Amino acid sequence: MKITKTKAFNVFFKPIWESNPVSGQILGICSALAVTVQLKTAVVMSLALTFVLAFSNLLISLMRKFIPRNIRIIVELTVIATLVIFADQVLKAFLYDISKQLSVFVGLIITNCIILGRAETYALGNPPFHSLLDGIGNGLGYSQILITVGVIREFFGAGKLFGFQVIPDAFYAAGYENMGLMVLAPGAFIAIGLIVWLQKTVSKE
Amino acid sequence: MSNYIKSILFAAVLSMVCGSLLTLASTGLKEYQLKNIELDKHKNILKSVGLMDGEDSVSKERVEQLYSENIRQVWISVDGKSVPEQRKGQNDLPAYLFSQQGKVQAYIIPVHSRGLWGKISGYLAIKNDGATISGFTVYSHQETPGLGGEIEKKWFQKNFEDKKILDDQGTFVSIAIAKGSVKGRIPESRQKNFVDGISGASMTGKFLSAGLKQTLTEYEPFSERFRKNEIK
Repeated sequence: MKITKTKAFNVFFKPIWESNPVSGQILGICSALAVTVQLKTAVVMSLALTFVLAFSNLLISLMRKFIPRNIRIIVELTVIATLVIFADQVLKAFLYDISKQLSVFVGLIITNCIILGRAETYALGNPPFHSLLDGIGNGLGYSQILITVGVIREFFGAGKLFGFQVIPDAFYAAGYENMGLMVLAPGAFIAIGLIVWLQKTVSKE
Repeated sequence: MSNYIKSILFAAVLSMVCGSLLTLASTGLKEYQLKNIELDKHKNILKSVGLMDGEDSVSKERVEQLYSENIRQVWISVDGKSVPEQRKGQNDLPAYLFSQQGKVQAYIIPVHSRGLWGKISGYLAIKNDGATISGFTVYSHQETPGLGGEIEKKWFQKNFEDKKILDDQGTFVSIAIAKGSVKGRIPESRQKNFVDGISGASMTGKFLSAGLKQTLTEYEPFSERFRKNEIK
C-alpha cells in the first residue's frame, strides 16, 4: 500500500492543505486577524494552538469510552481550558514580552472553534494515535495560514521579518512606502481572502 | 449505577485532576513570572526617562545594568522629604530618581489608575524642573486591545513627552488626556497640559486623566521641592 493511501497519512496531511481549518473551513479567523501583524507573535500563537489541539485531541480520545454523553461538551471544555491556561502560564514565565503582545488571544484559544470542533467530530470517535495526528495536522494547517499571513503583513506593513529590516533603506530613499493597510485588521482579511481564493482554485483540479 | 451519579463522579474527578495540575503549574512557574514582571517594570522605568526606546532587542543583563547604574528608589514623606528605606512610614510614597553625573535628571513616579475594565499601572517621569514630563509608560492594563489598549503603544505615550503639569501662571493643573486630538479642541494656552486621546476609548482617557491627577497631587510636595531647586 502506498503511504499516501494510509489512514494516518490522510488524517495528518488533509487538514494542512485540502481541508485546512482556516482557508477551507473558515474557522478560527478571529485570532488569525489579531495576532498576525508580526511574524513573531504569529509563530508563538501557532505553537500554542498546535500544542493545545494535539493534546486536547489525544486526551479526549483516551477518555472517549468513559465520558458520559450528557456532559461531554463540559468535559471537552475543561480539558481544553486546562491546556490553554497551562500554555498561557508557560508563555508568561518564559516568553513574557510576546505573551504581553498576544494579550487576551492566548486565553481566547479556549473559544477557538477549531479545537472544540476537532474534539467533537474526531477525537470522540477515533483512537488516540489518529486523534493526535489529526490534532497536529489541524494545528499545522492553522499555523501555515497564520504564518503566511504574518509574513505578508509584516513584510508589506513594516518592511521587516521577525523584526529584522528586509527591505533595504535604498528602497525607502527611492520613495517606497510601507503599506499602512496591512497593519490594520482589514489587511489580514484581504490576505486570508487571497489565500482562500488560491486554495479553492488549486484544489479544484 | 445511575447515569446521573456517573456524570457527577466523572465531572468531580476531572475537575480535581485538572485543578491540581494547574495549581502545580502555577506555583512551579510563579518564580519565573515574578522575575519577568520585575524586569518589565525596570524596562518601563528606563523607557520613561528615555534610556531605552521600547524595542525588545535589549538583553536582560543590559536592562539590569542600565537600571542599577542610573536608577535609585527612594521613599517620600507627605511633606515631600525623602525618607531612608529603614524608617519609611505607612503613608510614605515610593519614587525613583534618575541621576547622571551626580545630578538628579528626573524623578519617576508609579501611577496606578482605574481603567475602564481594570487597573492601569505605569510610570510617569518628570524632569528635574518639577514641571516637564519626560515620559510615560504603561506596563499592565486590561483595556480593550485596539481601543483603550492603545495606551501601551508608543504613539500614545510619545505625546506625553515635554508636556507640562503646570499652566502659564505656574499653578499645578496636572496632565490630562483630551477627547480626540488636542489641536482645535483645547485653547492654545492649555495645549501643553493635554495629550491626544484615543478615538473609541474616551472612557479609558477619562479614568487615566483622573488617575494621573490624583497621583500627581499626592506627589505635589515633592515636585514643589524640585521647582524650588531644593533637590540636586
